[in-house]
Amino acid sequence: MDEGYANLPTSHLLGSVPAVTPEERKPAGPAEAATSRLQQFPPAPGATGGGYQPPGSPLDGDVETQTNWKGYFNVASYAPYFNVDTDVVVDRLISSVYPMDGFFRKIDANPDMYGPLWITTTLIFMLAAFGNFATYLMQRKTDLNIWNFDVGYFNWAATVMYGYAIVVPAAFFFLFQYFGSRPSLVRFWCMWGYSLFIFIPASILLLIPVEFLRWVIIAGAGGASSWFIALNLKECTEGADMMVLIASASVLQFALALFIKVFFFA
Amino acid sequence: MSQNHGDTIPLNASSAQSDMDEIESLIYAAPSATVLPARPTSPPRASIPVSTSPLPAPAKPPLPASSIPIFVPQAPPASSAAPPASVSVAIASDGFGSAPNTLTEPVWDTVKRDLARIVSNLKLVVFPNPNREDPGKALRDWDLWGPFFFIVFLGLTLSWSASVKKSEVFAVAFAVLAAGAIILTLNVLLLGGHIIFFQSLSLLGYCLFPLDVGALICMLKDSVILKIIVVTVTLAWSSWAAYPFMSAAVNPRRKALALYPVFLMYISVGFLIIAID
Repeated sequence: MDEGYANLPTSHLLGSVPAVTPEERKPAGPAEAATSRLQQFPPAPGATGGGYQPPGSPLDGDVETQTNWKGYFNVASYAPYFNVDTDVVVDRLISSVYPMDGFFRKIDANPDMYGPLWITTTLIFMLAAFGNFATYLMQRKTDLNIWNFDVGYFNWAATVMYGYAIVVPAAFFFLFQYFGSRPSLVRFWCMWGYSLFIFIPASILLLIPVEFLRWVIIAGAGGASSWFIALNLKECTEGADMMVLIASASVLQFALALFIKVFFFA
Repeated sequence: MSQNHGDTIPLNASSAQSDMDEIESLIYAAPSATVLPARPTSPPRASIPVSTSPLPAPAKPPLPASSIPIFVPQAPPASSAAPPASVSVAIASDGFGSAPNTLTEPVWDTVKRDLARIVSNLKLVVFPNPNREDPGKALRDWDLWGPFFFIVFLGLTLSWSASVKKSEVFAVAFAVLAAGAIILTLNVLLLGGHIIFFQSLSLLGYCLFPLDVGALICMLKDSVILKIIVVTVTLAWSSWAAYPFMSAAVNPRRKALALYPVFLMYISVGFLIIAID
């Protein structure tokens, strides 16, 4: 079953366009195939027949070398990471808010990149927009009329959020590998991405112009997020001697929460 | 003697004549052979899934004069498609004097034709009409000039409205819209949907038209309440315009996943319009 996708009969007809395989035919199928396929990132092109398939190369023989680097530029090779439906995504979002909900078990078979991508993008917009709005409300309280929309918030938000969501899981992936455990980069990205979801409702609540309340809210959100990271890291690496790494991951998450409060919602 | 390279095809394997002279003589030898059809409408676009992309003739063996593929095919739609395509079509046909010449027509005619296409696409996409629900018909004659104008206009309007950091505002607006359109299209493709890349870019650009109107109104009249109302109305209009196309492109179980980023992009632009003063 795992080799099913590579051995689709149409894969051997190089130069022809394989038939589009409908998504709803295999509700449980992607789970099994995905387990093996999604260990390495990125997968080779032509891995699945889902949806979009560019025409194969007419040249035979060097398919092997082709798959090594052309997989990076091929849209179809990333399609397995977006193989989720609306209800699946909503379910994962909700379970990311309650740290004890067994999130890692849910994404283990089918980690998706849709969540992290759009959660970070939404968060960027929210931070920039509500950060500006919150600064405006605070300045109105002190009766100053010099508030200007600071478009730099968009740039800062984009840099910080995309940088955090991409670099931190990758760094921890390498650290975990160095210390002997066997993590999976895609699952790390997926998990860290979903851990940022709680900051979206938090940033809405941070509009309240009461300073003490803001600190309480951000501490709550940061704490929940760090706890989520710690629990899921522990579950996926199953190692008791990784405590230092897990602790540092939680601390980093809390530091992000503080940064959000200090920079955007001053 | 020189074999096929790219898009030049030697008609005669060993001829002392240059290729152009050969072709010209062949054309004049068969005067009725129209190299390319006249162009009352745009050249045939790919309105079918991209997987059967019209990779051009260079790989085919040399053909008789009537189908010389000198015409730069629709394969490089990288930049604004319409006028370059029409010019290169015209080069092939006009240089040999037989087909209608879009090269020597007045500039105003070219501009008028492109403007007419923009207007007709706009009417199809943004205003209610019976063909809206059918994505195949809706934007069959897509082009990228319209979206380009709308994005730049929106950036300029926002930049004019801003009191500080004007160039940064333009940069952010332009980047959000342009990169956003590309990412949204990729998002649909990754979710397993079936759309044509540039048709989708074109559609997302045309759906900006209501927001353009809203931004213009907000620039001229500076009251916050009015801005909120205007932006809400135009935002709803833009989303309504983009909805049928996007939702028809993906599996119904993933419809919300494909539509949410579209709303996110339009809402963020709407917010920029309200907040910039």
